[in-house]
Amino acid sequence: MTPDLLTALAKAAGLDKALAAFPEDVAAAAAQALATAGAIAVPRDPAAEPWPPMRPPGCPGVGL
Amino acid sequence: MSTAAHWLTAAEATRAFAARTLSPVELLDALLDRIALLQPKLHAFIRLDAEAAREAARAAEREIMSGRVRGPLHGVPVGVKDIIDVAGLPTTCHSRILLDNVASADAAVIARLRQAGAIVLGKLATHEFAIGGPSFDLPFPPARNPWNPAHHPGGSSSGSGAGVAAGLFPVALGSDTGGSVRNPASCCGIVGLKPTYGLVSRRGVFPLSYTLDHVGPLTRSVADAALMLDAIAGHDPADPGSSPSNARLFGRDLDRGVRDLRIGFVRHFHETDLPAHPETTAALAEAARVLQAAGAELRDVTLPSLNEFAGVNRVILTSEAWSIHAPWLRERPEEYGQLARRRLLPGAFIGAGEYVGAQRRRAQMIAAVEETFRDVDVLLCASSMDPASRIDDAEETARTYPRQARTPFNVTGHPALAMMAGLSSGGLPLSVQFVGRYFADATVLRVAAAYERATGWHERRPPIG
Repeated sequence: MTPDLLTALAKAAGLDKALAAFPEDVAAAAAQALATAGAIAVPRDPAAEPWPPMRPPGCPGVGL
Repeated sequence: MSTAAHWLTAAEATRAFAARTLSPVELLDALLDRIALLQPKLHAFIRLDAEAAREAARAAEREIMSGRVRGPLHGVPVGVKDIIDVAGLPTTCHSRILLDNVASADAAVIARLRQAGAIVLGKLATHEFAIGGPSFDLPFPPARNPWNPAHHPGGSSSGSGAGVAAGLFPVALGSDTGGSVRNPASCCGIVGLKPTYGLVSRRGVFPLSYTLDHVGPLTRSVADAALMLDAIAGHDPADPGSSPSNARLFGRDLDRGVRDLRIGFVRHFHETDLPAHPETTAALAEAARVLQAAGAELRDVTLPSLNEFAGVNRVILTSEAWSIHAPWLRERPEEYGQLARRRLLPGAFIGAGEYVGAQRRRAQMIAAVEETFRDVDVLLCASSMDPASRIDDAEETARTYPRQARTPFNVTGHPALAMMAGLSSGGLPLSVQFVGRYFADATVLRVAAAYERATGWHERRPPIG
C-alpha cells in the first residue's frame, strides 16, 4: 500500500488523529488487514451464505 | 484437612462447608492471606473487593450453618475478568478509556453465580479490551505466570488464569473470542472451558466480537468447570445469541470414562500447519496414548488449516471490534495501549465484502467440522504450540502468541476445553485441547475428567508462595 493510499484510507475512516500521532501503528494495521483478508478462500458459489444465518424477526435468542 | 484451604477446589470447599470442617469466612481469610502474599508478584487483581466479599462470606456462613444452602457454589469466592460487569464496581477492561465506567447492574453470569451462592472477590487483569497483550503502558500492570513470574500467563483472561493457578481463588470467569479462556488455562496449567456458543449469556460483558465472544470458567479441576457451567449456563432473552438450551448437570458423565468414545486426533494442526515445540508434540502424543489406553478409539481427522481458521477469525474479530471501538479510536487513540491500538486498527481497513466473505467461509468451515463429528465424538488437538514466553520479550511473545489451535472453535462455536498436559523442561505448563459437538459440553468434560484422572497433572502446583 502506497503512503498516499494509506493516508487516504485512514482519513476516510476518520483516523486523522491516530494518523498524526501514531503513523507507524496505522501503517502496521493497514498492512495486517491486507495480509489477513488475503488468507481467506472466499467461496465463489453465490449460494454459499454467511454465518450466522438470517433469522426472521420475532425469533430472537435462538443461538445455534 | 490435609490440603491447605487456598488449594481446595470449589467442590472440595463446599463439601468441607457441609461437613463443618471449614467455613466460608475461614476460606475467604485464607485466600485473602494468599492474595496479600502473591498479588505484588502476580498482579492478578485490578480491584480486590475484600469488604464486600467478607460480608458475603459471613452471610453464607450464617445460611449454611442454619441449613440453608443457596446453590452448588454457596460460599465459594470467584474472580471476575474485568470486562464483566459487577454492580457497583468499575468495568475498566484494563484500559484508560473506561477507568470510570462503574457498572449499574450485574452481568447475567454474575447474577447467575450469585444465585448459586458464589462470592465475588474482585476484578481481574486482562489484556486491554480482551485483545491487547501483556502491556506495560496501561493503568494497571499485566498479570504474571505463577509457574514463573518472568513469563506471561496467557490471555486475555490473564488474571483469571494466574489467580486460579496460584491459589488466590478456586474458580474464575474469563471470556474467549480467539482463545482467551483456553490460552491462560494452557499457560498456567489449569482447566479453561469455552462453552458452546450461545450456552452462556454475554449480557453485561464488554463485547469484542459479537459472533465470536464466549464466556467461560477457569478452574483447577474438571469437576469445578462442570459446576461453574451448571451455574452460568442458560437461556437469556436479553442476549440475541443466546441458545434456548437450558441444559444442566454438565458433570453428569465425569465418571463414565472414555471406553465407548471415538476421538479424532487433529494432528495436522501441530504437525504441519504450525509445527509445535517438540515437548508439546510429545505431550499430545502421550495424551492420545493415555486416552487409547483408557479405552477410547483414536483416529486421525483432517479439518481446514489453522492458517485459514486464523484468517477468518481475524477478519471477523477486527471488523466487529472496529464497529465497537471506532469512535474512541478516532477521538482518543492516545488512551489505548500500543498493542490494543495496533490490534484494533486493522478493522478500519477491512472492507464490508471481506467481512461478509469471511462469514461465508466460516459457514463452510462449520460444515467441515460438523461433517467430522459424524465419525467421531470428540476432537483431541493442540491448544498452545509453545510454553509461555517471557513477559518482557515482546518479540518472542508476538511470535508465539498466534501459534495456537484455539481460534477454530471460536469460528465454529463448538465447545472446547484446554487443560494441563505436562511440564516443559523449563518448568512451564504444556497443554491439550478437547472439542465436542454443539451442546455436548458434558462429553467434553467427560473426556477431560478421564484424562485428568489418568494423568494427575491437576495435582501439580506452581512453585510460588
